[in-house]
Amino acid sequence: MNYSHFPAIAVMGLFLGAFLVEIFGSKSKIVRNIIVFVFTTCAAALMLYLVKPVMLDGEIISYWMGNWEPVDGYAIGIGYEIDQLSMFFAILVVLTIWLSAVYSFRYMERDRHLGHYYTLFLMLSGAVLGLVCTGDVFNLFVMVEIMTFAAVALTAFRNKKGSNLEAAFKYLIVGSVGSGFTLTGITLLYMQCHTLNMAQLSSMLSGNLTPVTVLALALMFTGFGVKSFIVPFHAPAADAYMSAPTSVSMVFSGMVNKAGVYGMIRLVYIIFRAMDIEAIQILLVLLGVITMFIGVTMALAQHDLKRLLAFHSISQIGYVITAIGLCTALGVTGGLFHALNHTLFKGLLFLCAGAVLYAAGTTDLDRLGGLSKKMPKTCICFLIGAFSISGLPPFNGFASKWMIYQATYEKAVTTGNLFYAFATVTAVVVSVMTLASFIKVTQAVFFGQCPAQLQQTREVPFSMRLPMWIMALLCVASGVLYGDLYRFILAPASNAALNVTGYIDAMLGSGTAASAGIADIEVAKVSFSYWNPTAWLILFAIILIAVCWVVVFGEKTRGAVLQSESSQDVDGKYATFFSGEKSMHSHVGGSDLFWGFKKNFSGYFRVMQGIHSGNVNDYALMAVAAAAIFIVFMFVVLL
Amino acid sequence: MINVLATIKIIVKTLIFPGAFFAMAAGLLLAGIDRKVLARMQKRIGPPVMQPTYDFFKLMGKETIVPHAANRRVYMAAPVVGFVSLAVMMLFIPIGGWCAFTGDADLIVILYLLTIPAVALIVGGSASGSPFAGIGISREMVTMMSYELPLIIVFLAVAKKVGGDQLFFGFRAITNWQIANGPMIAQLAMIPAALAMLLIIPAEVGTQPFDVAEAETEICEGPLIEYSGAPLGLFKLNTAVKMLVMTSLFTALFLGGITSGIHTGITLWGIAIVDHILRALIHVAISAVITVVSMTTIHAATARLKIEHLFKFYWTAVTGLALISLILVWIGF
Repeated sequence: MNYSHFPAIAVMGLFLGAFLVEIFGSKSKIVRNIIVFVFTTCAAALMLYLVKPVMLDGEIISYWMGNWEPVDGYAIGIGYEIDQLSMFFAILVVLTIWLSAVYSFRYMERDRHLGHYYTLFLMLSGAVLGLVCTGDVFNLFVMVEIMTFAAVALTAFRNKKGSNLEAAFKYLIVGSVGSGFTLTGITLLYMQCHTLNMAQLSSMLSGNLTPVTVLALALMFTGFGVKSFIVPFHAPAADAYMSAPTSVSMVFSGMVNKAGVYGMIRLVYIIFRAMDIEAIQILLVLLGVITMFIGVTMALAQHDLKRLLAFHSISQIGYVITAIGLCTALGVTGGLFHALNHTLFKGLLFLCAGAVLYAAGTTDLDRLGGLSKKMPKTCICFLIGAFSISGLPPFNGFASKWMIYQATYEKAVTTGNLFYAFATVTAVVVSVMTLASFIKVTQAVFFGQCPAQLQQTREVPFSMRLPMWIMALLCVASGVLYGDLYRFILAPASNAALNVTGYIDAMLGSGTAASAGIADIEVAKVSFSYWNPTAWLILFAIILIAVCWVVVFGEKTRGAVLQSESSQDVDGKYATFFSGEKSMHSHVGGSDLFWGFKKNFSGYFRVMQGIHSGNVNDYALMAVAAAAIFIVFMFVVLL
Repeated sequence: MINVLATIKIIVKTLIFPGAFFAMAAGLLLAGIDRKVLARMQKRIGPPVMQPTYDFFKLMGKETIVPHAANRRVYMAAPVVGFVSLAVMMLFIPIGGWCAFTGDADLIVILYLLTIPAVALIVGGSASGSPFAGIGISREMVTMMSYELPLIIVFLAVAKKVGGDQLFFGFRAITNWQIANGPMIAQLAMIPAALAMLLIIPAEVGTQPFDVAEAETEICEGPLIEYSGAPLGLFKLNTAVKMLVMTSLFTALFLGGITSGIHTGITLWGIAIVDHILRALIHVAISAVITVVSMTTIHAATARLKIEHLFKFYWTAVTGLALISLILVWIGF
C-alpha cells in the first residue's frame, strides 16, 4: 500500500472535519459527536499506521503536495516530510487529540455553541499535526498561525467570564509577537536562500552562517520559544491553561507547547545545525533550568488547580529544553522521552482537574476537600499522575528524569563545566518541589475534610473516566517498558534529531547531503538500564507478597479493622481527633501548606509577584526584550 | 524454563537477607540501641534494647480504627508501600561490598526510592483526614525539600570522585573505587560531604531536632495522629528500617569496601554463607556506630527546631558543606 499520502490525508481530514462539524453538526449532538469521533479516529489510525514503516523500518516519507517536485535542485512546492522526529511528535499529537475528543463529549455537554467548539478543536488539531508533518518552513508558519488563533479562540470559549477573555487577549498579543518574529525570520531566510524547504535550507546553511541568517535564527528561536512557553514567555500560558475548558488545557499542554518544542528542535538541530556550538547548548540549558525553576516555584504559590498545573507544564517543558540543549544521545533521548511522558501525565492530571471541575464546580484549592470518598476513581488516577510527574519509581516520570540527570551530569564530567552539574542539582530540587505541590493538591482536593456544599458530589461518567484510565495505564506502561519504548520510538527519533543526512536525502534525492558536505555522525547507543529485569521481578515479588499480607492478615489480625459505615454514626471512636474541641469542619487547605518554605522564599516570591504583573504590556515587553537579548547573544557567539 | 535455584535465591534475597527480614530485625535493633544510648546519655536506665521489637509486635495485635473521614484503602496501603520501598532499597545498597543483585543500581534510584517512604507517610497522614496530620504532612514535605538539595550535591561529589565510565552513579563503581583507593572518608575533599551526610541522616529518619513533622508535643505526631494498630506498627517499623537504610547508605558511600577483605573460604551450596554473616554483623555494628554519632548524640544535645529554621539550616549550612566537597573534587582534590 502506498502510504506516503497518509500524513496529508490525516491533516486535511481534520480540517475537513472542522468544516463539516460547522455545517452539519451545529444542531444535532449525535451528528456532531460522530463527525468529531470519526475524523479524530481516522487521523489517529492513519498516523499510527505509519509507526511501522517510519519508526521500525527507518523509512522517511516525503510527499510533494500536488506533485510539485524540485526543479534544478530547488524545492518550489510544499513538501510533507515525516522523519522519525516528526513521527514521534505526531504520535503525541494524535494520542492527545483522540483522548481529548472522547473526553470532550461529556465534559462539554453543559456548554452552548458546541459546533463552534469542535470546529476550533479540529482546526487546532489539524494545525498541530500539519506543523509536525510539514517539510516547508512557510507552511510551518501558516500552521503555527492557525494553531495560535484556534488556541486563542478556545481559551476564550467560555466567554461569560471576563477573566477568560483577558487570558485570551494576553495569549493573542504575546502569541502574535512570537508569530511576528517567526515570520520575519522566515522572510530573511527566504531572502538569503531562495527556498523554504527545510531540508534544502539545512543543506545550504550548513557551515556558512551569514549575519542575516544568524538574525533569522535568533528571531525564529524567539518565535518558537514563545510557542513553547519557556521563561520569559510563560506568563500568558498560565492564564490560558486556566481559562480554557479543561479538555483544551490538556491539548495545550499535551501538544500545543510540544509544537513549540518541536519547532525549536527542528530549528536548532536540523535547519541551522547550530547545536555543535557550545554557547547555544549553554543558552538552551540555561533557559531550560530557569524555566523549570520559575515554573515550579510559581506552581507552589498557586491556589487554583488548573493554574497550578499550567505552571507545572511550564516547568516540565524546562526539563525537555534542558535535555535537548545537551546535544548528546542520552540528553536528546531523555528530552524526547520526557516530552512524551509530559503529554501522558499532564494530560491525565488535566483530565482529573476537569473531572473535579465537572463534579464539584470549582478548582479553587481552598474550597475543595475530602473528594477521595466521593470520587475514588478520579482520586486514584490523580495519584498516578501526581506520582508520575514527581518521578517516583516505577512511574514514567522517573525513567525520563533519570535519563536527564544522567545526561546533564555526563555532560558536566565530559566537558568539565560545573554549570551542567548545577543543572542536575536544580533538576532534582525542582522534582522534589513538584512532588510538594502535588502533595498540596492531593491534601487540598482529595483528602482531608469534605466541606458541606460538596457532600452531594458524584463520580464523573464513564466516557470521561475512559481517557483518564488510558492515560494512567500508559503512564505506568511507559515507566515499566522503557526499554522497548527506547528501542522502537525514542532511539529512532533522537537519531533523526542528531543526524540530518537522512532528512535531506529523502527530500532532495540521495547524495544531496554529501555534496553539501554533511556527513552522518555516529550516535552513541544509550545505555540506560537503571533497573534490570531481575530487579523488576524482585520488586513485583515483594509487592505481591505485601499485597497478600494486607489481604490475608490486614483484615484478620487479632484486633479488628474498624470503620463506621454510615455517615450519621460519627461517634467518638471514629471521629477525627480535635484535641477535645467540638468536631467541626477544619480542613487544612492548599494555601495553608508549606509555610516553612514560603517564609524562607518570601523575598523571591515578592520579586516574582512583581514580574507576573498580569499586565499584557509587560509580557509583550518581556518577549521583545528577550528577543533582543537572543539576537545580541547569537551575533556574539556565532559570528 | 524457570531456573529454580535462581528463583529460590531471589526469594531468599528478597524476604530474608538483605531484604525484608534482615531490614526489619537490624532496623529494630538499631532503634533499640538508639533509645538505650540516648537514655544513658541522659542518665536514665532506658528501655531494653529489644523494646522497639516488642512494641512492634504488640501493635500488630491491636485493634485498627479507621477514622470516618479517612479514605480507607489509601490509609491502609500507605505504610505497606513505605515498607516495601525500604526493603527494596536494602537490595540495592551494597553490604560489605556485596550487592543483592548486580545490576546498574545507582544513587538516583536510591534518591527516589528514599522519597517513597516519606511520600507514603504524607499520603497516609493526608488520607486520615485530620487537620493535625495536615500540618504534619506540610512540615514533612518541607523537611524533604530541605534535605534533598544537599543530598544530591553529596551524591554528585561522590560520583565525580569515583569518575565511573558511563553510569556515574553506580554503586558497583563506588565500591570498587573504595576497595582500590581506601574508604572515601579518608579523602580530604570528601570530609565536608561526609559531615553533610551525617547531618542529612537525622532529617531523613525524622529524629530530634529535625522531627518537626511528628512533633509529639505540638501536633500529636502529625501524620500518625489517627493511626492505630498494625498500620501504626508498620510506620514505626519504617522509621526503624530507615535508620538502617540511611546508615547503610553512609557506609556504602564513605566507608565502602572495609569488610570486603573477609574471606573465610567456607561455603555451603556454593554460597559463602559465613562470609555473608560476618560481613552483615560488621555492617550492622558500623550502622550502630553511625546511628549513635549522627542521631543519638545530636538528639541528646538539642531541642526541636522550627520548620523555617530547619529549611534554612539545610539550604545554607549543610548545602554549603556539600558544595565545598563538590567544588574541591571538581578542581581535582
